[in-house]
Amino acid sequence: MHNCKATRELFTELLLDGVDFRTDEALSVELNRCPECRAEFEALAATLRMTGRATEVAAPPNDYWTDYHSKLRQRLLHTQTESTTSRAKAQRHREKLGPLFEPLRPRAGASLFIRFLKTSVPVPLPLAIALVVAAALLVPLAIRAARKSVQPSGSTTFVRVPVEVPVVQEKIVTRVVYRDRRPVVSTTKRRTEASRAESIFAKSRTELPPASLSGFKPPDEIKLTVIKGGVPNEK
Amino acid sequence: MTDRDTDAASDIDLIKRAQAEDIDAFCLLAERYARRIHLLASHYCRNKQDAEDLSQEVWLKAYQAVGTFRFDASFYTWLRRITINAFLNHRRTSFFRRQGQTTTVLLIPIDLETNFESSSRSQENIYNKLLFESVVSALAELSPAQRLAFLLRHYEGMSYDEIANAMNCSTGTVKKGVWRAIGKLRARLSPEADAPETLTSFASEY
Repeated sequence: MHNCKATRELFTELLLDGVDFRTDEALSVELNRCPECRAEFEALAATLRMTGRATEVAAPPNDYWTDYHSKLRQRLLHTQTESTTSRAKAQRHREKLGPLFEPLRPRAGASLFIRFLKTSVPVPLPLAIALVVAAALLVPLAIRAARKSVQPSGSTTFVRVPVEVPVVQEKIVTRVVYRDRRPVVSTTKRRTEASRAESIFAKSRTELPPASLSGFKPPDEIKLTVIKGGVPNEK
Repeated sequence: MTDRDTDAASDIDLIKRAQAEDIDAFCLLAERYARRIHLLASHYCRNKQDAEDLSQEVWLKAYQAVGTFRFDASFYTWLRRITINAFLNHRRTSFFRRQGQTTTVLLIPIDLETNFESSSRSQENIYNKLLFESVVSALAELSPAQRLAFLLRHYEGMSYDEIANAMNCSTGTVKKGVWRAIGKLRARLSPEADAPETLTSFASEY
């Protein structure tokens, strides 16, 4: 089955590699099957032939090259002269500044720290005097500025005093009250008992002072009773 | 010893002399490879003067760097690497300088099969000139990366991997660039005015 896209994918590579479709059997079969692919292939081949031909045409005449090479030689000579000059300049700089860095050059048996301590740099006398005077002026100023920064600006002082703050601790106490089950009584009996209880409650309300927790003091130890399944202290 | 071996041996000899700052030896090397470098430059640049400047710049860079040549590849491979870098740098530096410039090129439909064989010498010269101008103007319409990838693949016969390595990009990018370049050239240089741009459309899908 001919596939135009797959066939055309091969075109560029085959053409760039210089494959002739007449020598490549598989390609030749594919191109014979599809005239459009064949036309496309031939157009591409013509394009690449044209660019290839342009290469031959682009070659300048022989007299161009004599001029070209003489120009190139001049430029190379100029570059060489420049590089020689810059190298000589660098050498001069090295010779001039070399003694300054001589103590820092690595030597056997001397550590870098000792070499650093022994290093001296020649400085012009006026510059040295100026540096000493500047240091003499700047040191007292720096000391004064440091003192000023240490002294407090106002009279307020801060003293740290530990203060005890009482913490309110609450204790929750629960009291478990068990009440015996009373036997089932008849309705009339229950009514009489209820009326009696009401009268007692009304009497107690009038006679007894109201209940309060004013005198109640919780014990230090709290006894907890675990109740499981309605039976106290079950194990 | 074959001619090629002799050439290679003398190449090595010339390089060693050039490394010792012998300009004559380097000029002899330049004479050997200048045409190939100039050819690439003339297709890469839009005009002859630029091509000459660029190719000479390549040689100057090669001269400055010849001391670093380690003989682990052929001299031309090394030189081509310098050429590609010079082209890429030229592209970067000349972008702003060249903006706004226009070139007018006469384009004529060309049928290679018939016209070349039947034309006379003078006609052939005129035809060649026009052909070169057409190709150069068609190449000028490509992006610099596409143009360079196409030139290296088509004229230098480099593999996609080699080009990708030289241009610091992926192999897929190079392939795409070459395909698009060929598609554009085919659309531009094809004898048929309304040629189908099948390769161009295919390249965009790649």
